[in-house]
Amino acid sequence: MSATGRRVGGSAGRVSLMALGILAFPASGFAQDAQRGKAIYEKWCLECHGETGEGDGAGAKFMLPPPRNFTQAVYQIRTTASGELPTDADLEQVVAEGMPGTAMPEWKSKLSDGERKDVIAYIKKFSTFFEGPAPKPLDFGKAPSSSAEGIAEGRKTYEKLECFKCHGMKGRGEGKSSPTLKDDLGFAIRAADLTENWTFNGGGTVEDIYRRMRTGLDGTPMPSFSDVLDAKIITEEQLWRVAQYVRSLSPEKTPEVKEVIRAHPMTGKLPSGPTDSAWAAVEPQWIPLVGQIIQKPRWFMPNVDGVWVQAAHDDQTLAVKLSWDDRSQSPNPVWDEWLARVMKGASDIDGPLPTKQGPDRFWLQFPKQIPGLDDMERPYFLGGSTRKPVYLWRWASSPDASEEGTGTGFGQFTARPGSADVTHAAVYDQGQWQLQFTRPLVPTDTTAAPAFTVGRPIPIAFFASDGSNGETELRGSVSAWYAIYLDVPTPPTVYVAPVVAVLLTAGLCFMVVWRAQQRGHSTRG
Amino acid sequence: MSANRSGFRLWPRHPFWQAVALAFVAYLIFDWGIPALRYVGIPSAPVPNSVLAEFMFIALIGILIYVSENDARWDEFKQPIQATLVDEDKRWVRNGFLLLVPLVVGLFTFQATRPKVQAPIQLRSIHPAPPASITFRGKTMQVAGLENPLRKEGNLADHVKEGRRVYYQNCLPCHGDRIDGQGHFGHGFSPTPLALDDPGNIAQLTESFVFWRIAKGGPGLPKEGTPWNSAMPVWEDFLTENEIWAVIIFLYDQSGFQPRRWEEATEGAPQGGE
Ligand code: HEC
Ligand code: HEC
Repeated sequence: MSATGRRVGGSAGRVSLMALGILAFPASGFAQDAQRGKAIYEKWCLECHGETGEGDGAGAKFMLPPPRNFTQAVYQIRTTASGELPTDADLEQVVAEGMPGTAMPEWKSKLSDGERKDVIAYIKKFSTFFEGPAPKPLDFGKAPSSSAEGIAEGRKTYEKLECFKCHGMKGRGEGKSSPTLKDDLGFAIRAADLTENWTFNGGGTVEDIYRRMRTGLDGTPMPSFSDVLDAKIITEEQLWRVAQYVRSLSPEKTPEVKEVIRAHPMTGKLPSGPTDSAWAAVEPQWIPLVGQIIQKPRWFMPNVDGVWVQAAHDDQTLAVKLSWDDRSQSPNPVWDEWLARVMKGASDIDGPLPTKQGPDRFWLQFPKQIPGLDDMERPYFLGGSTRKPVYLWRWASSPDASEEGTGTGFGQFTARPGSADVTHAAVYDQGQWQLQFTRPLVPTDTTAAPAFTVGRPIPIAFFASDGSNGETELRGSVSAWYAIYLDVPTPPTVYVAPVVAVLLTAGLCFMVVWRAQQRGHSTRG
Repeated sequence: MSANRSGFRLWPRHPFWQAVALAFVAYLIFDWGIPALRYVGIPSAPVPNSVLAEFMFIALIGILIYVSENDARWDEFKQPIQATLVDEDKRWVRNGFLLLVPLVVGLFTFQATRPKVQAPIQLRSIHPAPPASITFRGKTMQVAGLENPLRKEGNLADHVKEGRRVYYQNCLPCHGDRIDGQGHFGHGFSPTPLALDDPGNIAQLTESFVFWRIAKGGPGLPKEGTPWNSAMPVWEDFLTENEIWAVIIFLYDQSGFQPRRWEEATEGAPQGGE
């Protein structure tokens, strides 16, 4: 706090000096940058990072992680050693690119180079630390070329350096320490999910990962591993191997979001559960999920950020497998402390915040009446309505049970009594839920539940919640409408029309040429 | 050819190449020019393929009329076509076409007939006409002619400040800090949140239209707005009347746009005249 007091005094002093000094110090360019930067900061940054840079703007309690407190001058994305300030280039980089996986937006599309430099000059004024000499970047060297053995060696070093304590053996952030993690200011913080490199705050390439390991993410529990290099416990090459191993945990490319999920036609037996090896033949598709911020109580700090969906059918039965990362199998008392910490940083704008953990939940939603091909209208994507209800499969982890029924609004649910059509199997393993739902394409009672037809898109939507993160009632993550399509094997007749078209056109072309040649040669001579 | 003799020139003299150039220019205008109008402040949208085909058909008829308008030009136009069909020294060009044309036709037929997996297309009108009146928390409000009451009372800077707070505590995750519809949750919804900094949106609307869209949200849209897809909350459940007017003032302040005034809007999109 005393640092803050000093800072405010300092900057007020500078402002009045400026006012007096425009004539006296025409060359004080630095202060002028900051002065221009102030206007930009107040327009674009203030409501998150706060008027005095303390990370307490009006929007601060509506996101996790919260906005940076600039008065501490502690920065995550650096090229400098742990405990040092970032270089100007580091700050320019992070302001230009933003921080993926957080609410910090990229600014290169909105602010010019000059404007970004000005605003950086201004945020540096929130702390007196930047008045010293400029920090020096570390030398990172170059990545060795990647190989399967290299990645295997990286895995060994990952274990040796005990990354798993936080990030877990599977890298999903499910380590033992996970429930205890907090940043230097006491806010809840999640160990990064290393299987989703597109959410890494400082970028998801091997080079980015290596830099984060060398510099640490200051202000968070993520340490710097430069000292194990200095102590010669491992070599630089071995650390590069860890970066390559971590990179290999995520897909090659950031998953592309497609609107249609294809249910694979299976000739053999459908998978009997989520861990059945038959699922290996079905490509998983990524569906992003975001906080439910549409109906009370809204939830701005969701844990589940997406789900991998696989589907298969055998003309009789539909099986859908859902896999999503969740650091906790809820409820679990070791997460009580975490829950309290999350709620301390959350806003109670929609009423009292939950104080108890709930179960983990997953809901699948279809229209109660599947719309015809030329009918655009669907039920309201968030739970349907009384006029146009939805049909739901709802699962909860504790007790492990599922039910099917009708939804007439988000959270308005009537179970379908006495039906055994929908079955499920759920497995929690090292930071991931895998859940399979199975149902006959034609239900026992077609007035109570829709029949699914092959070769036709069926609207589908998703809801997930993490009970240890306080996601009870309507709190959780939601998706838009997608469509699931029960694939039919491609009939050979699709090749008939093109072949006929080629033959006809070729015949016609020859006719034209032949006629022209009959009529004589061109006059050009 | 004579056109080439005078060196490089942008506009060909030969009617055949003129026709080709005209068709190309027409295509550029339809496919690129029309959507680009929004950058100069004229609202426009990409031309759908079916409409593009129609436009091109009309343009081609126009071009044909032009090249056949007098006999000399028509003959000159036909000459290269005729030559390709007949001349011995153009045999390879001819054979090339004989191979290529059927193949391209075959490919298009395959594209058209192969079983496609597509979600039903959700056509939607982004700014459908508002109702003549709405009930806001039980109070009836006439949308037509309605002005933002806060513009006449108190201090504008205070309203901007209040609107800012409302925006950052409610709208931010979707519409984003850059007000471009790319907040950190925006990607989860379809349609994605409206880009409020786009000159085709709030700059074209009256404040009362914006009030209606905020107060009633996605579910309040008429059918042509696909209300079942819109993630826009019904803000009357969360915000007071004054909070909504304040956030509207903030949006115009932050974007630098002016709201459309009722005098300008009488025969515009909102049903003001009725
Ligand atoms: C929507 C809220 C929001 C806005 C607006 C915003 N930021 Fe941030 N910013 C954040 C969050 C959240 C973090 C911290 C993320 C984390 O801790 O992982 C952050 C972190 C930062 C950091 C720290 C980077 C590091 O290496 O630790 C800088 C610098 C920064 N913001 C600058 C800016 C500037 C400059 C602006 C305005 C042009 C701005 N921010 C606007 C939310 C915001
Ligand atoms: C004491 C707990 C802890 C240990 C041990 C730990 N990390 Fe982390 N790590 C974290 C936390 C917490 C974050 C998230 C920081 C944030 O979101 O701002 C993180 C983030 C990361 C990130 C994402 C960086 C980014 O740009 O967002 C990577 C990659 C990473 N860690 C790799 C590793 C590797 C590799 C090791 C072992 C060599 C390791 N971590 C050891 C806690 C830890």
